[in-house]
Amino acid sequence: MADLSLRHVSKRFGQVEVIRDLSLEIPSGEFAVFLGPSGCGKSTLLRMIAGLETLGAGEIHLGGARIDTIAPGDRGVAMVFQHYALYPHMTVRQNMAFGLRNIATPPNEIERKIADAAEMLEIAELLERKPGQLSGGQRQRVAIGRAIVKQPRAFLFDEPLSNLDAALRSRTRIELARLHQRVRATMIFVTHDQVEAMTMATRIVVMNQGRIEQIGTPMEIYQRPRTRFVAGFIGAPAMNFLPVAAVREEAGHLVVTLPGGASVTTTVPAAGLRSGAALTLGVRAEHVHPGSGAPARVDVIERLGERTLVYANLSDGSTIVYDEPGDVVLQVGETVHIAIDGAAAHLFDAQGMALHG
Amino acid sequence: MQTYQRGKSLGDRVLLAAVIGLALVWLAPIVWVIGLSFKPNEVLMHSTGGILAPPFTLKNYIDILAASSVFSWMLNSTIVAVGQTVLTLLIASLAGYGFARTNFPGRSVLFVLVLAALAVPEQAIIVPLHTMFAAADLHNTYAALIAPRLAFPFGVLLMTQYFRAIPPEIDEAALLDRASRIKIFFRIILPLSIPAQATLGIYTFLHAWNEYFWPLVSATKPAMYTLTVGLASMQTNFAQTEGIGFLMAQAVFAGLPVLILYLFFQRHIIAAVAGGPIK
Amino acid sequence: MAEAEGGIGPSHWTNAAFVAPYMLILLGMLFMPLCLGIWLAFQDYDMLGGWSGGVGIENFQNLLDDRIFRGTVRNTLKFVLMTTPAFVALGLFLALALNNTLRRSALLRAIFFGSSVLSVTIVTLVWRLVYLPDRGLLANALGLFGLPGVDLMTSQVWALPAIAIVTVWWIIGLPMTLFLAGLQQIPPELYEAAALDNAGRWRTLTGITLPSIRRTIVVVAVIEVILQFQLFGQALLITGGGPDNSTRPMVQFIYEAGFRDLQLGFAAAASQVLFALMLIAALAQFWAGRRKGV
Repeated sequence: MADLSLRHVSKRFGQVEVIRDLSLEIPSGEFAVFLGPSGCGKSTLLRMIAGLETLGAGEIHLGGARIDTIAPGDRGVAMVFQHYALYPHMTVRQNMAFGLRNIATPPNEIERKIADAAEMLEIAELLERKPGQLSGGQRQRVAIGRAIVKQPRAFLFDEPLSNLDAALRSRTRIELARLHQRVRATMIFVTHDQVEAMTMATRIVVMNQGRIEQIGTPMEIYQRPRTRFVAGFIGAPAMNFLPVAAVREEAGHLVVTLPGGASVTTTVPAAGLRSGAALTLGVRAEHVHPGSGAPARVDVIERLGERTLVYANLSDGSTIVYDEPGDVVLQVGETVHIAIDGAAAHLFDAQGMALHG
Repeated sequence: MQTYQRGKSLGDRVLLAAVIGLALVWLAPIVWVIGLSFKPNEVLMHSTGGILAPPFTLKNYIDILAASSVFSWMLNSTIVAVGQTVLTLLIASLAGYGFARTNFPGRSVLFVLVLAALAVPEQAIIVPLHTMFAAADLHNTYAALIAPRLAFPFGVLLMTQYFRAIPPEIDEAALLDRASRIKIFFRIILPLSIPAQATLGIYTFLHAWNEYFWPLVSATKPAMYTLTVGLASMQTNFAQTEGIGFLMAQAVFAGLPVLILYLFFQRHIIAAVAGGPIK
Repeated sequence: MAEAEGGIGPSHWTNAAFVAPYMLILLGMLFMPLCLGIWLAFQDYDMLGGWSGGVGIENFQNLLDDRIFRGTVRNTLKFVLMTTPAFVALGLFLALALNNTLRRSALLRAIFFGSSVLSVTIVTLVWRLVYLPDRGLLANALGLFGLPGVDLMTSQVWALPAIAIVTVWWIIGLPMTLFLAGLQQIPPELYEAAALDNAGRWRTLTGITLPSIRRTIVVVAVIEVILQFQLFGQALLITGGGPDNSTRPMVQFIYEAGFRDLQLGFAAAASQVLFALMLIAALAQFWAGRRKGV
């Protein structure tokens, strides 16, 4: 059952089209992450679901009912804002009670809901404080608590982790994932951070320039990017892209040559592709193996502890990054030989679409 | 925190001396007048020097309590200033919220009108304004004393500017919390704008209290005089007056409320003058 | 386009209810009298004789022929020329001297600003006493040096400057505060960079501080011109316009024509002249400021 459904939604600000004829179904109970660079329209899309932006065209349905025509407060959604948007003059308790009072919830029920949420989020001892007396992480929890007490049909998160420091951010990621398992509501989370998307999402919606590039589970997106954009956006370090030419067929699969002459046998069917077609080979650092193959000169060595990233220049000057063990002995300027795991490599055509086997 | 400091240069010392000297010049008239208000009128007939030497008297202040109209004028001033302050806060806050936070057709045009009003000086409209109130037979009423200044755009612009600085996310959170526009205004925005309200309130109060021209032409009956106008009406034949001490006591008495207000709310008053509320 | 910039939520005419109370007052108490005043300026209308129809520009011609009115224009311009430079220079000097966080400076700022919270009535009451030729504070001060007291108020030469001094004493706090606000806007890094470049105090003032607050200087000058054109209470209460009309400002002329002589059309015409002069002076200053590349 599709719980949240966007149908042919579009939106422009003046001359700029920020959402272009976008349709999307999110099943009930999913943790969906809208992922994309800034300006891709992901936040606008979220705000349209919340009712904070009007739709240029299209419809939004939630739980089978159309919601884009009704007031934000009547949609059954709760939002956690980027800067939390706690009411600064109210205590934590009053912040959480405000929305419930507005729908005339009986006082004892308000108390019970606040107590439950406070216990779940471990903020019970903060209830009488005002937002100004809380740390960033505590405010974050209160903002989530304010959403939880409303028992919404869908939670909307607008980059809520971007104001936290790195340690708190990774802890909160885990807690949000845990929260999702507990409350089992639909959650929509907007971020430009692919790590957040990979770690929390049950489904990632990658957006670019007002359009959806790909929808899928984190591993689908990681392993089988549909476009060069998605391939480059997901994963750290970013995927290597090398200009290659299709040279020949081998057992039905395409073989391409790297700059410098080494060839790579891919898993892409050769049918339909003429020899010499200009393609882009994409390969992640972990699928580039040192030892034999094309020569390259080590340019930069980045030590991450458990592994080391090596940036090396191929004979035509293009850079490729690959993995070495953490304690590898290597000098800048050394010549190495690298081979690409053709089974794990991706090929993209001139339009940036992936060619899949 | 500076970790090192150069020795005070000669320039620093001269500058400081000049500023302190100037400050003494600024204070002198006020100190002198306060001193005179405690001197018997008979002494002042002959000499106003030596304010620190006896005899001293409280008679001038007692005379205010006994005979003068200063009290009723002060009451008028209080009613006018408080009324104008309360109404300005309410009207300017509503308008500021409307301009800063809502959308409606014609909003930009109306806002330009408000800005244009800044350019219109009181003197350009006081004659026709007086004619209008005369036609409505409203002179010598509190309404006439209060209403014209409510049109001054400063408050609306100040509140608009302040509301714009409040993160829109707060309003949006309240919208999602199912609060109505009116509720957001009274429960969220107004409480959050208390610093701006204080600034605008004190500023408006001071201006209303000190207003001279309009009360002068509108309140023509002595019973409706404000303190500013009433005190001015007693200043005639100054050089011949026998009651300098009494006059000065009235000046001190009339100036006391604003000076006390100034001592307590100096930060707010200066902030209003500098063009925005305290951050 | 459904949404204008700035607001939250969809555009709807009911939201105009928030601005309606103020807009009604603005129209009724400001724009209506403004229009009425412009119309009045072209009418023969006095409170006693009633309305006798339009007279074209006759009121303006009469103003031009009126020796006293011409004198008030002259007095007002003189006053503006006396006070505006004083406000700018002294205000800037005080702001530069007191732009620090020392407790002493806070006290001094409070003293210089404090007089502006007093009403014109109190200020003139105090200063008339200061200026009293035989027993005034000024006479007492001169007496300390064995000098005789002077009667500024009866001097056609000194009465207007004396009023100008009162005015500067009264509201020096405004330009000082505006300059202080301007100085606070200068990023501290600029001064740190200048210090590293070995700029001395004078170089820092002329090379960094003054150029940085050029806009503020223009704004303060324009505000002061507009304010000082409105000279009224001090002149009315200290000298009543005398001696021999030498201190009578335009606003007092309007006041007397409109509220003593009850010649409403004539007074309204004088108001328009004042309004026009103020606009011209303010625009001229902005224009001059812009030409200097502000």
